[in-house]
Amino acid sequence: MLCDWCRYVRVQLNDNTGAFSFLTIAGGLIRTQHKSNVCSFVTRRHSLCATWSYRSMADDKDVLRDVWFGRIPTCFTLNQDEITEREAEPFYLLLPRVSYLTLVTDKVKKHFHKVMRQEDLEEMWFEYEGTPLKWHYPIGVLFDLHASNTALPWSITVHFKDFPEQDLLHCPSNSVIEAHFMSSIKEADALKHKGQVVNEMQKKDHKQLWMGLQNDKFDQFWAMNRKLMEYPTEEGGFRYLPFRIYQTMSDRPFIQKLFRPATPDGHAHTLGDLLKEMFPAAIPQDDEQMKYQVIIHGIEPMLETPIQWLSEHLSHPDNFLHICIIPAPND
Amino acid sequence: MTGEGGEGTGALHLDEETFRRACQRFVQHSRTLSDGWSWEEVKGSDEGYMRKTVLVPGRTIAHPPRDAGCGPGEDLDTLGQGEGQDFQDEEEVEEQAVGDEEQATSETTSAIRYEYHVLYSCSYQAPVLYFRASMLDGRPLSLEDMWGNVHPNYRQRLLQGPWDTITQQEHPLLGQPFFVLHPCRTQDLMRPLLAAASAENRSLNYIVSWLSSVGPVVALTIPLTAHSGAECSSGSRGARWAESQSGGLAKETPSYRVR
Repeated sequence: MLCDWCRYVRVQLNDNTGAFSFLTIAGGLIRTQHKSNVCSFVTRRHSLCATWSYRSMADDKDVLRDVWFGRIPTCFTLNQDEITEREAEPFYLLLPRVSYLTLVTDKVKKHFHKVMRQEDLEEMWFEYEGTPLKWHYPIGVLFDLHASNTALPWSITVHFKDFPEQDLLHCPSNSVIEAHFMSSIKEADALKHKGQVVNEMQKKDHKQLWMGLQNDKFDQFWAMNRKLMEYPTEEGGFRYLPFRIYQTMSDRPFIQKLFRPATPDGHAHTLGDLLKEMFPAAIPQDDEQMKYQVIIHGIEPMLETPIQWLSEHLSHPDNFLHICIIPAPND
Repeated sequence: MTGEGGEGTGALHLDEETFRRACQRFVQHSRTLSDGWSWEEVKGSDEGYMRKTVLVPGRTIAHPPRDAGCGPGEDLDTLGQGEGQDFQDEEEVEEQAVGDEEQATSETTSAIRYEYHVLYSCSYQAPVLYFRASMLDGRPLSLEDMWGNVHPNYRQRLLQGPWDTITQQEHPLLGQPFFVLHPCRTQDLMRPLLAAASAENRSLNYIVSWLSSVGPVVALTIPLTAHSGAECSSGSRGARWAESQSGGLAKETPSYRVR
């Protein structure tokens, strides 16, 4: 059966064990084994926090895996105005949520190059319903922000001319993506550990993080990323949390400020606390209909989720927790 | 004041309020010098940035269309390695350019319009210099152009790590593509300046000291008169806007007047 709340999760009850398995979540997480007797996904919001409360620490590692292997089925179509020598067939791909568009679309480029003339080929860029897609945001963020409540596959238009200089960063090679990725990791570590962890790493360690992402090697990446997620137990969390809140309702690309994982007297801050300070409209008042959806990796975590836990488990490989706020669909 | 995170880091960090005040004093003073800096508010927020535009002579590389054939990606990748020696020697670069003319790649000298923005980074607790550049006809300059225009004194540094020195990034307030001079070493840069100031018991405008140090890397000069001569070694590194002795940036201080 489909989760009646989020419609991305296919839930199956295992008759022998009474456990639920989450088979496919096209837009969000994928293949989560869930061993509790209560399907919190179905009973309440599709929520990671609820599963977490049933999980042991060992199971938390599954969350990292689920986040890493999240995929979005996507259909790439050539922009109608491009001049082709023969008809361009659409191209289908499963896009990794945590990667970058320009890092995983070599095949798309080759596919459309075949039907175009050499002299018409400029830098490839992507657009969804009139919005140029910023390759430097993780793919999952682009999807959640622009296409959350639409039918799958995600339909992206491919362009080879009229590069929107005012909107998009150029991306002529993977070195550009690597530089962007590493600079995000450094910035996140500046917030978490005053940059000390990333600065103590060697060049080959930085390379390991990047190669892990580039080649989709979960273990390779996490063997190193683990160090970036450490903190002194007595402090109960990072110095500041690396997060960005995106919303499409303003020109401002995202909100990013200093925020600590706990209050001065040691109470853990929650996702709700963060939103209250950064984007209060996202928190529904009593009896009020929800105006916004707060989405991370295609799901809506409960507002009671400790923000430090979210930062450790639902951050993207760039070490930022990317939070999308979109208008709630009125149905 | 040595070592990461040692004592004195408190002074190294610039909080947002101090940043704003330092910018305001800087802009005020810039007005008296007609140096063109202004403070821009971001509508609907309490944030803002300092802005200036200038025309400077510069070199640009005329490219064949982007991504054609092998694409500029390969050019970028090799810049840090193979072409290193060429970059240190400008004449060689030019000679090569002449020799390469048939390949539709040539260098020209013309005016470039630079737009500089100074923003506050809460992650680094430091100011960050964003900039973009275009030809007079509006054509934006590429990252390679920017690398090529870096002041010769800084090329060595650029070549050691072009990708963590200047790259294109999204302007965090405007959402548009800008180049950015990476801020991760700002504190290393500021440490000796702040140490010297504190040893001499001077107060110092962080923005003035910082901008006059990093600006020249990307063709931004701060028109200063070194007020005591002895204190600032001028030259390519740029004399600092005379940091006033105690009492902040008093307008009356004659040393601020440009000539």
